[in-house]
Amino acid sequence: MAPKEKDSKEKEEKVVKINKWDGSAVKNAIDDAVRDVSLIVNQCLRKKYNYVENFALMDGRLTICGIAVAVAMFALLWDYLYPFPQSRPVLIFCVASYFVMMGILTLYTNYKEKGIFAVCIQKDSSKKEIIWEASSFLAKYDDKYNLTLVLVDGKTKQRRETSSKKSVANFIDVNGSVVPEQVEAEVSRLHNSLLNERKTK
Amino acid sequence: MDVATLFDDVKRMNKRQFLYQVLSFGMIVSSALMIWKGLMVVTGSESPIVVVLSGSMEPAFHRGDLLFLTNYPEEPVRVGEIVVFKVDGRDIPIVHRVLKLHEKKNGTVKFLTKGDNNSVDDRGLYAPGQLWLTKSDVVGRARGFLPYVGMVTILMNEYPKFKYAVLACLGLYVLVHRE
Repeated sequence: MAPKEKDSKEKEEKVVKINKWDGSAVKNAIDDAVRDVSLIVNQCLRKKYNYVENFALMDGRLTICGIAVAVAMFALLWDYLYPFPQSRPVLIFCVASYFVMMGILTLYTNYKEKGIFAVCIQKDSSKKEIIWEASSFLAKYDDKYNLTLVLVDGKTKQRRETSSKKSVANFIDVNGSVVPEQVEAEVSRLHNSLLNERKTK
Repeated sequence: MDVATLFDDVKRMNKRQFLYQVLSFGMIVSSALMIWKGLMVVTGSESPIVVVLSGSMEPAFHRGDLLFLTNYPEEPVRVGEIVVFKVDGRDIPIVHRVLKLHEKKNGTVKFLTKGDNNSVDDRGLYAPGQLWLTKSDVVGRARGFLPYVGMVTILMNEYPKFKYAVLACLGLYVLVHRE
């Protein structure tokens, strides 16, 4: 728990001062805070419950981006080696596949990731796998922070989810810094309600 | 925002986030590059957009006008058209009007150009010993223009330090800022 203590100490030193009538400054501060909340949720799932983080989702996005950039760099190199009229067929192929990759990336972030920022896997002694997914969104001009926790059973693929909709004021103190305990409490509440639901079934 | 907090963001990132940051910077660059190459394919010109750098075509084009070019091989060059051409030994393409043109039965052409605002034709601008231009010298033919937009490019070319400063700031901003 040492790194966390250091983290919170760092936060105490930095008091965020903003003019509350300056809309964009407030928004930036809240965005920063939400980012911190995400980080803490992530840490909470990993450290408190000892779950293993799964990076497949992020790796998928990195792969798509990597292919797109590689295609563009290849087009640049090919055009340099074989000046324009010669390189036309290769350029047509590269440009087309680049924009297809961009389309795939948009679909991936909108329909597969959907704001999921943490995926963790819980392994039971009986080889049962449970996958936890945490996602969040904060609408523009709104202070309601939506945190969703999803539980997917590794074998039956059953999924249950629970979410909380609370003002960001619940997680941030007067100085504008995130209170990890509050976030942890919220995550534990969601976490336990999902687990209890399972037992009653 | 001071520099220390700026780099704080970077420090908080893990390996994957940093890689994503680099890749998203790469994607901004590649998007611009791919749009440019796409335009090249569509227009058939190796440089589909050029900036007029001199006043030699006034009053048709002024310094800082942005020109859109096409270069389809099936369209013949005609007298009176404005062509953009490259001359051996000069880096910057020239935008001038076709003055005289000779066409052979086998399809090859040779032509002479002149700037509307110049008092003599372009033979003095061509490579030593060159009297005519051919199709292979042509970068494209002007199809449309947008006034004044190219002034930024001219400024950047005349003050290279300004250009590098702008590029460095943009690059740093994209690399350091998350999302």
